[in-house]
Amino acid sequence: MMWKSVVYKEWLKIRWFLIGYTLLGILSIGYLFLTVKHGFAFTGGKNIWNTFLFLGHQFFSPLKYVPLVGGLTIAIAQYFPETVNKRIKLTFHLPLGENKALLMMHAFGAVSLLLSFLVFFGMFAGFSLVYFPVQMVTDSIISISPWFLAGFASYFLVALIVLEPEWKFRFYYSVVGGFFLTIYFAPAQTAAYGPANSGLFVLTAFLSIALLFSAYRFRKGEM
Amino acid sequence: MEKISRYLLVFIAILTLAIILPKLYWMAFEKPIRKPFILYSCIYDDFMIHRISEKTWKDTKGQQYTREEYEQKLPMMYLKQLLASGTMPDSIDGVELDMHDIAKAKSFFRLKINEIDAPVSGLYPLFESQSGRTMLDLPEDFFRITWRIDFIDAATNKVLEEKSQMFSAALFQKGFSFPAKTISGLSTPRKSIDEGYLIVDSKDQLFHLKMIKGNPYVKQIDFPDGLKFRHISCVDFKNKDFYAYLFSDKNEIYILTQDGYKLIKWPVDGFVASNCDLKIYGDLFNYTVIIEGEDHIKAIALNPDYQVVKTYTETWKLKEEQTEVKIFSSLFPAQVSMTSDNSKFIRFYFSPSKGLNWIFLNLLLMAFHFIWLYGRKVKLKNHMADLGIVAVCGIFGFIAIHFFQNKFFD
Repeated sequence: MMWKSVVYKEWLKIRWFLIGYTLLGILSIGYLFLTVKHGFAFTGGKNIWNTFLFLGHQFFSPLKYVPLVGGLTIAIAQYFPETVNKRIKLTFHLPLGENKALLMMHAFGAVSLLLSFLVFFGMFAGFSLVYFPVQMVTDSIISISPWFLAGFASYFLVALIVLEPEWKFRFYYSVVGGFFLTIYFAPAQTAAYGPANSGLFVLTAFLSIALLFSAYRFRKGEM
Repeated sequence: MEKISRYLLVFIAILTLAIILPKLYWMAFEKPIRKPFILYSCIYDDFMIHRISEKTWKDTKGQQYTREEYEQKLPMMYLKQLLASGTMPDSIDGVELDMHDIAKAKSFFRLKINEIDAPVSGLYPLFESQSGRTMLDLPEDFFRITWRIDFIDAATNKVLEEKSQMFSAALFQKGFSFPAKTISGLSTPRKSIDEGYLIVDSKDQLFHLKMIKGNPYVKQIDFPDGLKFRHISCVDFKNKDFYAYLFSDKNEIYILTQDGYKLIKWPVDGFVASNCDLKIYGDLFNYTVIIEGEDHIKAIALNPDYQVVKTYTETWKLKEEQTEVKIFSSLFPAQVSMTSDNSKFIRFYFSPSKGLNWIFLNLLLMAFHFIWLYGRKVKLKNHMADLGIVAVCGIFGFIAIHFFQNKFFD
């Protein structure tokens, strides 16, 4: 039953941020496809397809930093309050095991983000299939996948940085984390990220338990 | 778990530093290699070499020329300048020069390494080849080749069933084996005429597909057994001598003539598609083929019958021999990049440094870390992995283990 309480506590912290971010994301995708629809009406479908296929225009490029913003928002909403008066210490006193409680919090945040991203992904794929054939939609998904992985990576990295007790190390982690995130955003032709996406997925998965390191330092009083 | 999370973070940091630090180093210290501009002179029967950075114009024997003298030896390239200065010859080798013929024969082709290893869209517009119009119109539909050829209307995103069936049947009847391996053509309406696409099918057979008056035109092109094409670049030259340059998996260069679909192999050696750029300048008298590698440039002049007239090769210091590369190899054991000059794909491109000079810095940093640990009176057995990381990953590992410190209570 303890996990339900942990989940409820996390929900109370992030709910408005999550709902607000998801709504903004939905509006962004809605706006994106309004521009596509407008383009089809005024420029013509064949010209929109042609610019996408041969002139390097990526209709989905306005989505580039939307997942990143989500990861940052949810991580700050979830972990920043824990550092005020070191409230996270209360979590460490739960009869769950320190890491288990922390991973439960983290999993809740990551799953919340995942649900939000799934809504975006589903909307993107669904609307795209209205206007574009499978090949173009697949290529688009290959191109936007690293951006969504960057959303998760930023969530994991911010948790790591916020829970780190020493400012000096927060700076170090921020430098590494900031540069690391750039690998998800290399300027690339549509579908060029195909060979890299599986590697980026593994690296993002590696980061999922990164906060255990700074949380350990936090609770052992490394400050 | 905390220790595992730390090692994963150290790994991420090493990867990040192996991308960023070399990138910053090259931004600060990389020197461009200025490749000479080489063309074959039909007047002088030798290559003329323009070194842009040095502002020199020479021939292969080292004879220096003024810019004007240089241009006069290349009348096909500097036609307008020579006409303006009144120094354009009336004839060359007994051939009277006609402006129309010169313009018609002039061509330029370029193939960069990264154009071969690049994502392809899989959808192409099939133009009407005999529309009777002087300007080509972009068609309303695009085709893809899977288990058949589908034409998809861009306005509705629906497959045009009748047209798809008609073209699929035409390809099938000519022996086309679905799906296609490569589809090559000029997908832009900004070309003088449409010649459709050259398609390699799943059995490595070559087909020419175009649309004439709304109907399919399919031609299977004969070529020697065992020949496989790695890349095909269709061209739209004014003289309409050939459809395309074709590059085999053995780095041979072929042309496919418009007159009778003859596949002609050019006697050009030294081209390696995976690490050479290619330029081909065509004119009334010659083709100059320029192969640019990392440490050399090779120029080959062909006559209009595609026979070699002359070759010239120039080499320069390998990048590895430059001082800044040697310093790099002493500082960094390797570099990782997400992009490459040889591909348009994003990958983790790992390049180990040449030589083993980096070992000295690695060992120095390892010794420094050892002394640092000794001064802190920690149990060394808990830090053996970190010492190993510095020994292998050098400066990247050293920074990574100090950013994510190994401070755990036993």
